[in-house]
Amino acid sequence: MNRAAEFKKIVAQYCSVTAEDMTEEMRFREDLGFSSLDFMSLLGELEDTFDVELEQENAVQVRTIGDALNMLEELAA
Amino acid sequence: MRKEYPLTAAQNMHYQWIREYKTQQVSGVSIVASLKAPLDFGLLKKCIQLEIQRYGCMRLRFTKPDEKGEIRQYLIKHDARDIPLKDMSGMTLAEADDVMQNWAYQTLDGDNRPMCEVVMVKLPEGFNGFFVHMDHRLIDSCGLVVMVNDLMSLYTHYRFGAEYPADLADFESVLANDLQKANNEKRFAKDKKFWDDQLDALGEPLYSDIQGSSVLEEARKKHKNPKLRAADIERKQLFVAVKDYILEPEPTKGLIDFCMNHQLSMTNLLLLGIRTYLSKVNNGQEDITIENFISRRSTHDEWTSGGSRTIMFPCRTVITADTEFLAAAYEIQNVQNRIYMHSNYDPALIREEMRKRYGTPEDTTYESCYLTYQPMPVHVDNPFLQSIPMHSKWFANGAATKKMYLTVSHTPEGGMNFSYHYQTACLTEKDMELLYYYMMRILFTGISQPDIKIGDLMAQV
Repeated sequence: MNRAAEFKKIVAQYCSVTAEDMTEEMRFREDLGFSSLDFMSLLGELEDTFDVELEQENAVQVRTIGDALNMLEELAA
Repeated sequence: MRKEYPLTAAQNMHYQWIREYKTQQVSGVSIVASLKAPLDFGLLKKCIQLEIQRYGCMRLRFTKPDEKGEIRQYLIKHDARDIPLKDMSGMTLAEADDVMQNWAYQTLDGDNRPMCEVVMVKLPEGFNGFFVHMDHRLIDSCGLVVMVNDLMSLYTHYRFGAEYPADLADFESVLANDLQKANNEKRFAKDKKFWDDQLDALGEPLYSDIQGSSVLEEARKKHKNPKLRAADIERKQLFVAVKDYILEPEPTKGLIDFCMNHQLSMTNLLLLGIRTYLSKVNNGQEDITIENFISRRSTHDEWTSGGSRTIMFPCRTVITADTEFLAAAYEIQNVQNRIYMHSNYDPALIREEMRKRYGTPEDTTYESCYLTYQPMPVHVDNPFLQSIPMHSKWFANGAATKKMYLTVSHTPEGGMNFSYHYQTACLTEKDMELLYYYMMRILFTGISQPDIKIGDLMAQV
């Protein structure tokens, strides 16, 4: 499974949108119903799954699925 | 052979309270859920028995403590218990509430035994339903609401042909996953570093009391230490009283709108209200810590697996008098967001680290206030029952481990309920009145003047 697919599969556990229906424009809070706790828990899970270190200041600027994927790609590069 | 698991951090928090306060009463949680409708009690009994099978946490038991006092947990496969029916229809609602309140005071003592009790109830004024009394190590309030909804869905399926409710997540799998996460060494190191860094940066916390600085002064005299920064915990007289205040829908909307317009969560606004009050009555103290409970339910499985997922972490902020209200709210939000990211950590380890660093005396604490914000309304979310009046009520277990524990929830009418649970050994209803009054003054002055400086706000209210 590639990184984007794995990422979407994780996000889908937190919301009612399936990984298949998830688009890069979808916003975590407004479209997917994430609370602050959900979002920060997700960040922790992403760190553990993809073995990356997220800077909280940058991570809290993430609004959409696309933003998060870009952040992950940059950290993994 | 049965599979046994250690306790999670959240479960261990309750277990340690049971040990420290020497009574299981501190771990009781009880609710009654009823509808103003005739119920088929034979069918309800069947649904409760089915629910016990579906919702694994209801079948959880604990082993006898080992030589170190530690216990383990295990699930029994089947629990085919009878469900008794108590007829209280001849009483007034207040009298029936008294009976159930007494049930809520009962302890579930011993090991290798069921840790939950369910009674079907016929209540006055045509209400019928069920009362549940459980150990908090099995479930938290969110978990209970999920259970009530699921049970009602089972009932409406069999009674009215509604769709059969979706499967709930397997409690044992979620438990195993939680324990595995807690044992992730890399994650543990990151979480520990976060909490240790906070102590490195800010040093030893400083106690602040609802009743002002005299409480810390008393502790300093008692411990013969004029530099003591922690105050004593009441361990013996645990009787708790509850005082509820309802904030009307219109002002509630004002708070909600402020949060939405400024991308703030209600928890953080409430924390700001409490900490500003504490600062006001403690000579402008800037370093304030409040224990905030979070319900670690984010994924589908975490929401529907039951279990005790609520855990408290100290929210410590140092906010100067010249900080503007909105900036202070963001500062709290920033701290809370970091805490959320590190909420897999066992908060007992934070206290242990502080004891190690600062020699904090036994039976003392840095916090007097505890907050739970419950965004989830307690109502039966079932289209077949929407038009039927409901009576539901949480019952306090009657023994407080905390000096003041505030639960804020939303009312069905769109208001907010501020429920203050306080130890009567130390606090009075008047203290709660003052706290609520000033919290409201602080919050509403702050949201109407977000650029007001905290020092000016404290002077103004």
